[in-house]
Amino acid sequence: MPTIIHAVAGYFILLFIVRVLKRRAGSQMTLFEFVIVFLIGGVIILSTVGNDRSVTNCTCAVIAVGLIHRSLAWVKAKSPTLGAILDGTPLVIIRAGEWQPEIVKGMKLRREDIEAAARSAGVTRIEDIDYAILERNGRISVLPKDS
Amino acid sequence: MPSSTPTTPIEDSVPKIDEKIAVGENLEFQRTWWKFERVVWTLFLLILIADVLGVFGRGWLSKGRVSDAAQTLTVDYEHVARASTPSIMTLHFGPNAIHNGHVQLYVSDSIVKPLGAQRISPQPAVSSVGRDGITYTFDATELPASVQIALEPSFPGRHPFKLQVVGGTPVQSSIIVVP
Repeated sequence: MPTIIHAVAGYFILLFIVRVLKRRAGSQMTLFEFVIVFLIGGVIILSTVGNDRSVTNCTCAVIAVGLIHRSLAWVKAKSPTLGAILDGTPLVIIRAGEWQPEIVKGMKLRREDIEAAARSAGVTRIEDIDYAILERNGRISVLPKDS
Repeated sequence: MPSSTPTTPIEDSVPKIDEKIAVGENLEFQRTWWKFERVVWTLFLLILIADVLGVFGRGWLSKGRVSDAAQTLTVDYEHVARASTPSIMTLHFGPNAIHNGHVQLYVSDSIVKPLGAQRISPQPAVSSVGRDGITYTFDATELPASVQIALEPSFPGRHPFKLQVVGGTPVQSSIIVVP
């Protein structure tokens, strides 16, 4: 029983911390962000399993986390508001070829991030971007200007 | 016979920007979320400062000391402890504690059960149960003399305890165990 409570608490703590971190923690991970994700995950595991490292205990913890995750996915699908709280909303970084400084500053984005996304989309110059959108999963979608 | 599977035409379900791209951006929500984040990170900073100071145990503010009027028994302990985490309770005996080369110490059951006494050092010469607790008898020569009890509370809550040198007045306090 304590393991299930710890697993549930750990899940929500981890979810909350990752959510209030900037969105890049979930996607486009650099080595810097790998450190955060692995360290936070490792610390939560210690509290979740405690001294009971049996297969039974770990299986129950995994099932509990899986069940919560599935339930949240179901609720997210039903409630757009909860979806926005848990995943955020897409944000337009470049709109009709214009930077949106509020978004860039608010999301602590670097020009290099957008340039990398542009290269992935086959766009070689940042001036050729028509729209750049920071998606909910942390990816940056780039739409080039019509040539 | 052809099947008549119902079909639904696809259409954008989220607001478009510039009447061009359906993004579903909610800037008002995002502005509120940024404000919320600032509050949360301030709160996190305060939690860390409180933790360093020992508000949640294992720090300066969590150290407690209690003794009886005659200073027969003085107890150093952590009045905020953490579940499943070791902490040490140190009992210092005063001048009137030693009688005929022995110290008799009464320890309430709460020290053993909810506060999870793991070991007592040095080992008592004799242990006897009764009065909702255990009475230990230690061989003792002269002061200073102390005994350490290693605690490892198993569940959160406020757990009162009582200690007494037999013949002296009881020392009572409580330990708050945080998860």
